[in-house]
Order: sequence, then C-alpha cells, then structure tokens
Amino acid sequence: MRGRAAGGGSYREFRGKLKGEIPDLISTSPATRVERRLANLLLAALAGALLVTIPFAKILLPTTETLLPAYAAGVILVELITSVLLLTLYAIARSPAVLILAGGYLFTAILIVPWLLTFPGMSDLISINDAGEQSTAWIAALRRLGFPVFAIVYGLLRRRQTETERTHRSAMRVILGFVAAITVAAAVPTWVAIAFSDELPQLMIDERTVSALWSYVPATALVLYVVGIALLSRRQISVLDLWLIVALCTLCIEVVLLAYFSASRLSVGWWAGRLYGLVSASIVLIVLLSETMTLYSRLIRSGLAEQQARFSHLAMMEALSASIAHEVNQPLASMVTNAGAGLRWLDKATPNIDETRAALNRISSDGHRAAEVVKNIREVFKNGTGERVPLNLNRLIGRVIQCNRKETRLKRISVNVKLDEHLPQILGNPVQLEQVISNLVLNAIDAMSAVSGRKRVLQVTTALQTDGNVLVSIEDSGIGLDSVERGRIFEPYYTTKPQGMGVGLTFCQSIIEAHGGRLWLADAEAGGAIFNFALPGAEYDGASVARLR
Amino acid sequence: MSHEQSLVYIVDDDSSVRESIESLVCSVGHAARLFSSTRDFFVAERPNVPSCLVLDVRFPGPSGLEFQRHLTESEIEIPVVFVTGHGDIAMSVTAMKAGAIEFLTKPFRDQDLLDAVHRGIELDRARRANTSKFVELRGLYDTLTPREREVMELVVAGQLNKQIAAHLDLSEVTVKVHRAQVMHKMHAKSLPDLVRRADMISAYSRND
Repeated sequence: MRGRAAGGGSYREFRGKLKGEIPDLISTSPATRVERRLANLLLAALAGALLVTIPFAKILLPTTETLLPAYAAGVILVELITSVLLLTLYAIARSPAVLILAGGYLFTAILIVPWLLTFPGMSDLISINDAGEQSTAWIAALRRLGFPVFAIVYGLLRRRQTETERTHRSAMRVILGFVAAITVAAAVPTWVAIAFSDELPQLMIDERTVSALWSYVPATALVLYVVGIALLSRRQISVLDLWLIVALCTLCIEVVLLAYFSASRLSVGWWAGRLYGLVSASIVLIVLLSETMTLYSRLIRSGLAEQQARFSHLAMMEALSASIAHEVNQPLASMVTNAGAGLRWLDKATPNIDETRAALNRISSDGHRAAEVVKNIREVFKNGTGERVPLNLNRLIGRVIQCNRKETRLKRISVNVKLDEHLPQILGNPVQLEQVISNLVLNAIDAMSAVSGRKRVLQVTTALQTDGNVLVSIEDSGIGLDSVERGRIFEPYYTTKPQGMGVGLTFCQSIIEAHGGRLWLADAEAGGAIFNFALPGAEYDGASVARLR
Repeated sequence: MSHEQSLVYIVDDDSSVRESIESLVCSVGHAARLFSSTRDFFVAERPNVPSCLVLDVRFPGPSGLEFQRHLTESEIEIPVVFVTGHGDIAMSVTAMKAGAIEFLTKPFRDQDLLDAVHRGIELDRARRANTSKFVELRGLYDTLTPREREVMELVVAGQLNKQIAAHLDLSEVTVKVHRAQVMHKMHAKSLPDLVRRADMISAYSRND
C-alpha cells in the first residue's frame, strides 16, 4: 500500500515485500498439466527400462567393482548439489519442509562415502580395520531407509508453512546447525556399523549373498516409498512435490530390481538398479537447476521491463512538459515583453499613457490566457477522448493476451479465453481501450503471482448482453479483495501493490466512462476478482459515428 | 543612433506575442510590421530601409530555421533574431551558424531583444551602405569604354605607362590620355583610391 511503499522501513518489512515479490518458488507453485504429463512419461520410460532389464538381471559382471568409485562420485556430486540448492531455497522460502528434504539429500550423499570405502574389494585398497561386508550392507540399509523417512517428514511438513515458523533467526545459522546435525546423524551409525560389525545382526552371508534378515530392508524401503508418494500426492502438489514423487517412484524401481530380480551384487540387475538410483537423484537436481534458470531469466526480464517502463514514462513526461512549457511560455513571454514596453512608454520625456494602457491591457488578457492554458491541460488529462473508430474488442483482447504470453507462461498461469464470435463492433479509441484491457490483464496476473497453493487461471470472456452492450470480463484466481480494498479500489492514488501509483484503475474507469460504458468489480466463484466492463455496441450508421465523435 | 527609416518585421503565430514585441520596438522608435506566418512575410513588399526580422522558431509547417535557409537561398538578406518557446543548444547552434543575430528563449528580457534588434539593424544599414556604394561604382565603371577598362585593369595591376603601351600596342601618350579619362570617370582622387574602387567592384562582381 501507499504508506508501506513510501515508508521503505525495516528489514522485516523488506523481507515481507520480498516474499510478496517472489512467490513462484518451486516449493510452492503448483505443477502444471504439462509437467504432470512429462513426469508420467518419464515414469513410463523407467518402468519400460525395468521390464527390459529383468531378463538380463541375473547375469553377473565380475570385476566391475572398479566402476564403483565413478558411480559413487556421480551420486555424491548430484546429491550434494541438490542439497545445496534446496538449502538456498530454504534461505528464501524459510520452509522447514524444504530444509528437511535438503537434509535427506545431504544424509544420503554423506553415507555414500563409507558405503564405497567399505565395499568388498574397496576396503582392501584403503584398509579400513574391521570393515567388512556387514558394514557395507548396514550402511546401504541406512541410506535406503533414511531418504524416504526424510521425504515423508517433508510430505508432512510441506503444508504447515506459517508465519510463526518463519523464524527471525538468521537462515545461515539454521542451515549450519542443521548441516552439522545431519552430519552427526550420518556419522554415528556409520561408526557403529564399522566398529561393531561383528556384534550387529548378519545382513550378508558372504560377499555376494544376502542373509534372510536383509530381505526386510527392501520391503521396508518399499513401504516407506509408497507412504511418501501417498503423502506427497495428497491435495495439490507443487512442482517440487511432483518431481520428488517421480524420484521416489524411481527409487521403488531400483529397490525392486536390486532386491527381487538381480542375483547378487555386481550383476546386470544390480548395476541397472544403481543407474536408476542415479537418475532418481538427478531428477530433483535438474528441476531445481531449470527452475533457477527460469527465476534468473525472469529477474533479468523484469529488470529490463522496469527500465523500459521508466524510460517510456520519462519520455512521455518530457514530451508533456515540453508542450506545457511552450503553451505557458507564450503568454508569459508576451506579458514580460508588454511590461517592458509599458515601462519604456512611461519613461519617455512625455510619457505615452495610451500605449502604456494598451500594454497593461495586453498583460491582463495574457494572464487570463495562461490560466486558460492550465485549465485546458487539466481537461486533457481528465478525459483524453480522441478519435473513435468501429473496432472489434475480441481482436484487441487477442493482442493483449499475445503481448503478455511470456509473462503468463513464466508465472505458470493458464489463460482461458472465451470470446463471443458474433460480438458486434463498438466505437472507441483502439489505443485507449487496448490500454484498459492491458491494465486489467496485468492486474489479474499480478493478483495471482502473490498466491500459492491454488491454480492460477486468467479467464477473459466477451459476451453480448441483452441490452446490446458488449461485456468484457477479466477474471483471476487470486485471493480477491477485502472489503476495505473493495471500497477504495477505484479511488485515485489508492493501490494494493507495493510499487503501484494507484492510477491504473482510475485511468481505466475514466476511459470506459468517456466511451459511454461502465467498469465494475465482481467476485469470482473461485475466490478471485472479476473486473467487468460494458461498452455500447455500435450500429453501423454514420449518424452514430458522428454522434460519438 | 538614428532610428529613422528603420523597420522591424515581427513574424510570430501568436498575436499577443506579436503585439507585445511591436509595442516594445515602437517604444524605442523603430517602425514595425507584423506577420502571422513566414509566407505572409515572404510575399509582402518590403521597403528598402535598414531592417531586421524577429522570427519565432516554432511554426505550424516549416519551422523558423527552415525559413531562414529559404531566405538565404532566395538571396533575401535580412538579419534574423530568433525567439523560441523552448530552444535547445542544437537549435541555437544551427541558427547562429546560418547567420542569426541572436537566439532568445521566451520569456526573454526586453533589453536583450532590443539590443539584438539594434545590432541587426546596424548590420543591415552597413550592408546597405556597402551595396549602394557598389551600385554607384558599378555605374561609373559602366561608362568606361572597353579600351579604358583594359588600361584601368593594367594600371591597378601596378604597371607603368610604358609597359601598358607596349602591352596594348599603343603610344605612351595615348595611354596617358586613357588613364586620365579613367581617373576622371571613376571619380578617383589618386592611384590608391582607384585601386580601392577597382577592388570593391571586383569583390562584389564575384559575389553576383
């Protein structure tokens, strides 16, 4: 609001604004239909790959353990980067759920190191005392079961993002503490698994063969994955939720391959399972990276747009002030010159009273003229009507939607246009009316970019009313307006946007009224706002054209 | 400073500005003629007296600057004082390069305008004096016979009578007669005076 924008005050206020301005975080913005379809396709492809792998799963590939370090390096990198990106996301969104998920990735990334080092064959190279196949298996179980637990906690927490949880502790301190905690949580069981491998129940009979106890691990993991998927699929899912579901499904496939189809370690099935694990780890990373790029490009674009708007505003102001200066300078110049002339006529040896009087009279009339100029300028701004031509509102709307296509795509807004094809033409100024439609559409987009957790739909409808008027409705699925805003929204200089000037709707209203129409506000069923305007349809005779001109 | 027979042309589309400038220049003794457009001024008959043009830059149609160019192309020599509602540096540079006396931004000080107008009129007066002197000399020159012109050309080139005689294949006595005739007809009091007059004629003739 105006006061807030002018105040420019505290850090908290700034943070509040920041929150308002970047609502389109991957953790909050709903997944679009295209993204869901893409996710389904990917899952289908992975399931297909699973089926293809099964017949060959039992073939052993001995000595391929030399490839393990490469695999482990890939996994650790992917998971660490994912974790860092999620922590960054937490620093912005301050969502505990995101923090937990980051912890999950960090946890598995850390555990891959002891897993690799204790792997039979590897441990000989670096000679970790006491480490045996039991340690590897226990660490693998810890990794396998740990991640879905983090995912489940994420699924439980993801909706509980409230202001109270938005602590004012510095994000850096929270993140550092959390990272330390996760490291300890990973290190302690690892130490136990290595130091007490003999005391722990047996998971492996020999280097390649698992014990009966091991069979509980994949089963538990599967249950945990399914619980996680079910939790995440509840209600509306965000982009992050969607891809996490995909990642969990991939992990399911991995477990199924590893536990039930591969003969033992280092078989084709085992390696395929590892690859699916890598794919799963990469999915969220890829999504996070693409999201980061989207945010980055949006930042650049908005910076450019802002600059452009400022320039065009400046250019307009300059042209305007030049024209006002000229209009006002004429009478001013005349007055000053007349005054000089009058004084000179008076200063003569025999003062010329007649000429002096004439000069004074001209000064007087110039003064009135200057006042008239000022009045005219105000008139022009009150209602700049300009030339009217018959025009098709559908076409104007199409153009405005086209112009804002990039904006709506970036903000994940689906645009729903229902235009009446038999709409009669109206008489109006195309530039002004396009400005009105553009203003209302931009308002709707702005109203939706601040909301999360619901679909973003911009609906533009045209219809012919029974009284012959043409109705245009621009509906958003934002949070709508409260009663105070509703009462004041058309007032000049009233705005609900931090950077708004509060002239947009006033401007729209005066243009619509100058066209003999009406602009009003209605409630959308879904809770957003609808701005309607109605304009008289034009008859195709010259008389009405002339009348409106 | 004498203001008799000096005329200020005021061309401005704003009648009240026009009249105020008229009153101002009349108060110091100039005569003024008002025009609402450059076209009216261009087609009007202009008395042959020292004059100056006060011209608004901004006009519907061709601007004052374009009109200034048009005047130069039409060989109408009149000092121009520009007045403008909003002038920028580029505009004033263009105007001054094209020979304007002054470039004043409205509202201007009355003394500045009067100074510029005086300067313009004095310039015009000087130019006119030069021009009339030339017209007079040209008239005198036209009375010379072709042979006398030949002799005059060689005399002002610094040749002695003997050389001229040899050059034109005449006797020295004949050259002396022609020379005396040239001095007489050109109203020259001395040889340097004749040289000055010859220079002036050739300078102006080149301009034609």
